[in-house]
Amino acid sequence: MSEFGAFRPPPDILPEAAATRGRAGRAGRGRPAPGRPGESRWRRPGFVRLLGVVLLVLLWVYIAFINENVPGITEVLAFLWTELSGGSHGGMVLRGEFWPPLLDSLQRYAIGLIIGIPMGVALGLLVGASSVARGLLNDTTLALLGLPTVVWAFLAFLWFGLTDSGPIIAVVLTVVPFVAVNVSAGVRSIDRGLVEMSRSFRVPWPRLTGTLLLGGTLPSACTGIRLAFTAGWNSLLIVEWFGATSGVGWRARFWYDALRYPGFVAWVLVYVVLIVLLDRLMLRPLERRAFRWSERPVLVAR
Amino acid sequence: MATVLIDNLTKIFPPTATHPSQVQALGGVNISVTGNVLVAILGPSGSGKTTLLNIVAGVEEPTSGTVRAVQDSVPAQISYVFQEPRLLPWRTVVDNMLYVQDRKSDRSRREAEFYLSMVGLSEVGDLYPSQLSAGMQQRVGIARAFLVNPDVLLMDEPFSHLDALTGRSLREYVQRIWLQTRKTALLVTHDVNEAVELADRIVLLRPGGVIYDDIPVDLPRPRFPDNPAVRDVQADVLRRFDSMGAAVQFGGARR
Repeated sequence: MSEFGAFRPPPDILPEAAATRGRAGRAGRGRPAPGRPGESRWRRPGFVRLLGVVLLVLLWVYIAFINENVPGITEVLAFLWTELSGGSHGGMVLRGEFWPPLLDSLQRYAIGLIIGIPMGVALGLLVGASSVARGLLNDTTLALLGLPTVVWAFLAFLWFGLTDSGPIIAVVLTVVPFVAVNVSAGVRSIDRGLVEMSRSFRVPWPRLTGTLLLGGTLPSACTGIRLAFTAGWNSLLIVEWFGATSGVGWRARFWYDALRYPGFVAWVLVYVVLIVLLDRLMLRPLERRAFRWSERPVLVAR
Repeated sequence: MATVLIDNLTKIFPPTATHPSQVQALGGVNISVTGNVLVAILGPSGSGKTTLLNIVAGVEEPTSGTVRAVQDSVPAQISYVFQEPRLLPWRTVVDNMLYVQDRKSDRSRREAEFYLSMVGLSEVGDLYPSQLSAGMQQRVGIARAFLVNPDVLLMDEPFSHLDALTGRSLREYVQRIWLQTRKTALLVTHDVNEAVELADRIVLLRPGGVIYDDIPVDLPRPRFPDNPAVRDVQADVLRRFDSMGAAVQFGGARR
């Protein structure tokens, strides 16, 4: 029975607290303004990023200029347009095709991540929280992490042949150790003081797991998931290159084998742009949201 | 009525890589605390104060002896104010408080906000710990301890990591809330002034975790550090504390 009622505060305290809480909360969560006051616009992150892209394009133009085996930007973009528009590739029976291979790859990628990430999280929690599980699985997980992606590609091809299962399994097998290793490191880095605090207050284990274990692991899990997204996409492309009849990797290999290097580079470009967009538009905003508690806006201390 | 019975409590830490020999933190401690009293455990560093509190809280296991914390013959609800705030950095202040409470309702939230207002933090419920100063975080830790409506309140040097001014104002907050709630409380400290200001009874622990003295503090509340009666008792406790130093040196004990 709470004694709350026995010493209720003056009636104006709670409404005041409720009214001012929102203001303080909003004031505390503002995103930092782009660029600091007085900072030169040339040093702002957006400009520096744009400069990096421009330098990369200039480097490409230069290399294409001095080496005739490297296709130029205009050739690659023209090829990409033919693929997108379904036009003829001049002398080839195969016509341009963009969305079907791309959607095939994205579908395999998504299924692999949906299976692999929860598996990695569960394995990581187990290895991090239980010394027995750590003894049994830690070395295996590390060994899997160290295995080159191309090995997964060949294994998936050997086990499943030219089916959708091979690329999906390869994504799963790549993603699981990345997530598991980071999550288990996160579990082991949870502040012991917080565990003691929870025990002293007799916090029940479902809440302890849901709040302390998962919350404390989130920073490492985010890192692991971001790495897993990139590694999984790499893995998928390699498996499709060697053992698929559709997908971005298969399409890139097809043009490579046909000695149409602009086509090969065009699909590599698609591959790179997709992973960058995924990171910028989905992973980073999610990570920012998950870490909003670490922002330190100015607050007048009382 | 809550009771804490500490019976012949001993804690010996086994040798580690950094301490090749075993360390006796507590050596047969007997303390009985009954009713709405605040007992201070006073002692120098290495006297096993924190270990004692951790064992009462169930965070550590004793080597031998028993601890019973009961409220009307059932296990008492214990809450703990640590030296550091120990807040979950990824949860807001109010969510940190609700984390240790069983009930999740609007009433719980209002209660959390009420206790925050009791420690002068009525506007920070939706902020994250990193957005608060160290003193404010510690006040949240104190409010959290009272929120669970504990039968037994444990406080482990809750003001030791703060500057003198913040520590003094926080002592006033604790005294004020304790006067209203009158929980059975154990306060660990190495500060004689703090012990006299807050406690009804002071247990002196000497290094090795052996009780040296048990001093009742019969002073009216609220107590303030500049009150002459408070200063007289402080001087007396300090004398005994100093004589304990000499006794430790020459192997003596008052009890």
